[in-house]
Amino acid sequence: MSALLERLAGEQQLPTDDFGDIRRRAQAALMQHGFPDLKTEDWKYTPLKLLEKREFSAEQAASSALREPGFKAVVLHFDNGLLNLDDLDLPAGLRIEPIGRESLERADYGDRAGAFAWLNLARFEQGLRLVIESDQDRPLVLALTTAEGFAADVHPRLEVEVAEGVSATLIDYQYDAGAGLVNRVTDVELARGARLNHVIRRGGGDSAWIERTVVNVNDEADYRVHVLDCGGRLTRQDLRVHLLAEGANGEIDGIGLVDTRQHIDYHTAIEHKVGHTNSRESFRLLGDGSGVGVFNGRIHIHKGADDSHSDLETANLLLSEHARINTKPELEIYAEEVTASHGATIGQLDDDAMFYLRSRGIPADAAGALLKYGFAAAPLEGTEPVEVKDWLLEELQRAL
Amino acid sequence: MLRISNLHVTIDDKPILKGLNLEMGPGELHAIMGPNGSGKSTLGYALAGREGYEITDGSVEFEGQDIAEMEPEERAAAGLFLAFQYPVEIPGVNNAYFLRAALNAQRKVRGEEEVDSMSFLKEVRESLKSLRMDESLLKRAVNEGFSGGEKKRNEIVQMAVLKPKLAILDETDSGLDIDALKLVAEGINRLRDDKRSFMVITHYQRLLEYLEPDHVHVLSDGRIVESGGKELAGRLEREGYAFLEEAEA
Ligand SMILES: Nc1ncnc2c1ncn2[C@@H]1O[C@H](COP(=O)(O)OP(=O)(O)OP(=O)(O)O)[C@@H](O)[C@H]1O
Ligand SMILES: [Mg+2]
Repeated sequence: MSALLERLAGEQQLPTDDFGDIRRRAQAALMQHGFPDLKTEDWKYTPLKLLEKREFSAEQAASSALREPGFKAVVLHFDNGLLNLDDLDLPAGLRIEPIGRESLERADYGDRAGAFAWLNLARFEQGLRLVIESDQDRPLVLALTTAEGFAADVHPRLEVEVAEGVSATLIDYQYDAGAGLVNRVTDVELARGARLNHVIRRGGGDSAWIERTVVNVNDEADYRVHVLDCGGRLTRQDLRVHLLAEGANGEIDGIGLVDTRQHIDYHTAIEHKVGHTNSRESFRLLGDGSGVGVFNGRIHIHKGADDSHSDLETANLLLSEHARINTKPELEIYAEEVTASHGATIGQLDDDAMFYLRSRGIPADAAGALLKYGFAAAPLEGTEPVEVKDWLLEELQRAL
Repeated sequence: MLRISNLHVTIDDKPILKGLNLEMGPGELHAIMGPNGSGKSTLGYALAGREGYEITDGSVEFEGQDIAEMEPEERAAAGLFLAFQYPVEIPGVNNAYFLRAALNAQRKVRGEEEVDSMSFLKEVRESLKSLRMDESLLKRAVNEGFSGGEKKRNEIVQMAVLKPKLAILDETDSGLDIDALKLVAEGINRLRDDKRSFMVITHYQRLLEYLEPDHVHVLSDGRIVESGGKELAGRLEREGYAFLEEAEA
């Protein structure tokens, strides 16, 4: 058994409840496949060695404070990964219930590339299903934070369902001050004509942050996500958007910032399963210090998914010779009458722009900061509603 | 105001300006004309302090001070402004934010207080209006997606807000429609007084008809080869630059 397996999936104190069989099945799959290694294509850039050196303790640290977002919101606090279910005060049209057995029984994460999702299931503790049944005028903030001293491994599980025709804004505010492992599995379902504005704002300390998100988009439904990842010791985000029926739309816009001792790794996939579906993706990485940024963006237009359209653009800014960025856009098209495009650029700060700003009186360091900000802000410009956009841009400014 | 003596500038060791002499007094408007590739933009960039434009000989004095070693932002704070022949797009940076940052940076160097945002916005709005530019341009990224003419007018807005002592306008009239040209000329004339000087680089007499330059110079192969009054512009428009070669031959 590998060191990582031993550490994370060895003897554990697990609750005695009805889910024992489900955990055992996942544990067996995990033992059979093992964790990814350097030969596992999808994980070859993710430094899991870091986890092998960690001692995880089950002791709970204090909760950490979320900076007030500055707009009216419904905030759910997940301290050190778990939601405190006491005195929840939810607005009308919002429901939280435990995840049903059925979806856990159905779960299948394949081979070792899905190891962390298997691990999540093997260590299943709190699984929540969030149902959004009517339009929400206030954004819903899921504040998942870890405090200083956090050294545990937690495996939260979340399902989000947006009901037919309903629009909502969901903000994943993930802030880490600890040195543990947060390994979350998230499944999102948009019913016919639903619309979800999803925002992921993430950043942190020394924890490893691993998340697998799958979004199912049904007919005429619209999923849009804006990502601001300010970097952490290790972030790995898998985001899969499945366009399942005609008129489904999926859009991903994101910026990841990495500096010294930081590693972020985004693997996105947009699956056009049927025809007349649209997608767009723009993802940027900004590398400074000795940070490492990885982006793998796949657009897959399945056989028969005719008349589909997709656009994928990536751009990267390398500010230090020690920083590293790996970008790989992938376009796979098996259908007809499809328009799809992708482009990738890697660059440094633009000399012309630098001189333009300085010629107006802005000193070199401030001009550089402004250009960095401009580069990073561009993918966030389309965030809705506007008060959330303004907050995200402020968060970005603080991070730079 | 400005004294350029025997200026030699190279780009990548290639000589571009080859002994240029020019003197401008306060309140004067000088037009610079000359064939493509003669070094007009190079002069503008060299004065504004662009990296890679190396002064190998001669000197540039701005208000009695040698500016050769000054950073671009220091020159700007000292009162020098260059309207670019090709204004640069800066994605993600809000136009109003940029302009205010520029103004405040200059004020800071001069030991002045920051502008308050109300009076700043009021002034920018008035300036936009006088150039018939839509206010929404303020909220957009600097020059991004602006039409050619909007970019040029945006340079004039910046000049109006920054109020330089010396403005170098590099082909600000190129690409403007007839009405816009008139608006830009009015924008320049509004700023004219007995102290502020202008160096207007242009290929056409039309703008100069509105501006009434004090002097017109012809730049050719890195040197000023001919100077005169505004009638020189008319002659160039009619005859082209052919007479320069005749004169040299
Ligand atoms: N970065 C550079 N590297 C090499 N040569 C350059 C560079 N920039 C300008 N030059 C050359 O310097 C010369 C002068 O160019 P400049 O742009 O100053 O001309 P100009 O008079 O402004 O022309 P135009 O009327 O076309 O705007 C040209 O021959 C040009 O090719
Ligand atoms: Mg030129």
